[in-house]
Amino acid sequence: MPLSPCSHEKEVAALLARGGWPDACEPELRAHVSACRACGDLVLVTETFQRARAEAAGAANLGSPGALWWRAQLRRRNAAVKRVGRPLLGAQIFALFILLFLAVGFLLSQARSGLRGLDWLEELTQPHALHLEILWPSALFDSGWSLMALIPALATLALLGGVALYLASEKR
Amino acid sequence: MPWESVFPNVFAGDAPRMAEPLMDSDAFAGFYERSAHSLWVYLARVSGDPALADDLMQESYLRYLCASRPGLHLAEGEVAGRRYLFRIATNLLRDHWRRPRPASIEEIPEEYLAAGVNPAQADSQDMLNPALARMRPRERQLLWLAHAEGYSHKEIAEVTGLAGASIRLLLFRARRKMARLLREQNPKGG
Repeated sequence: MPLSPCSHEKEVAALLARGGWPDACEPELRAHVSACRACGDLVLVTETFQRARAEAAGAANLGSPGALWWRAQLRRRNAAVKRVGRPLLGAQIFALFILLFLAVGFLLSQARSGLRGLDWLEELTQPHALHLEILWPSALFDSGWSLMALIPALATLALLGGVALYLASEKR
Repeated sequence: MPWESVFPNVFAGDAPRMAEPLMDSDAFAGFYERSAHSLWVYLARVSGDPALADDLMQESYLRYLCASRPGLHLAEGEVAGRRYLFRIATNLLRDHWRRPRPASIEEIPEEYLAAGVNPAQADSQDMLNPALARMRPRERQLLWLAHAEGYSHKEIAEVTGLAGASIRLLLFRARRKMARLLREQNPKGG
């Protein structure tokens, strides 16, 4: 289909936009429109669409702008909280990796020292296991490295547990 | 204990910026009153579904308000805000068309099937609806934006995301096709 622009198209479009068609139109231009296919199409389509727009506007079922505004504020707030929560999740994952690293380190150190560091566990199975002092793992203190690893690991575990519990309860 | 208080520094820096609204409630109410009708008609005419137009219009305003473009309304004026709103609506329409269509008639909203037509509107709707139904969605969008909303080619390009240079040709073809369909339906009126 060839594109055949008409030099009067802009003039006709401006008249239609101002609502000046056909009353404010010069007779020459009106004669041109009736003969020019491009301008005739423009007038027919624009008039039909403008009429349809004016008529259909009354059929709109508009809601309350206030409710929309508050819904938008809620959505913005939720998005902001989600955005801020992302680093927290990263911190939790990081803490979990630290914990795993420490646990693996601890187990490796025990394996290297021939599991002597876990003697206190065996003591629990002895007949005098019911004595309260036996529950305190004295063997644990024999290995300085184990203690250094175990205490931060337990602390991290406790912290992580607390955060996990808090988040779980918050979600509920 | 609220968890925000556990990390005060994180929230102290971000909260004011995030909570800053695009425009206040009163300004939005005014903007809504002036733009909602034309946006709804655009969505209803281009989609051919008044119920869908209701949903998409609400979503358009929500996205407009949530958009991280603070100061848009004040700095660029209401015309730019309106154009941005139409752009959001156009994208939502496009997303809707990309989604799979409802498979059965039960899934089509009842309002759509029983859409009541005001007798006063019947003439232009009788004339325009069948013609619009035979146009492609993109053609309907272009025609509505150009001839009902009065947007320039540049503005249409901004709203639809099409290249500015192609708008003229696409619009010319769509207008010619629409005029032919309108004349076919109403030979005397053409």
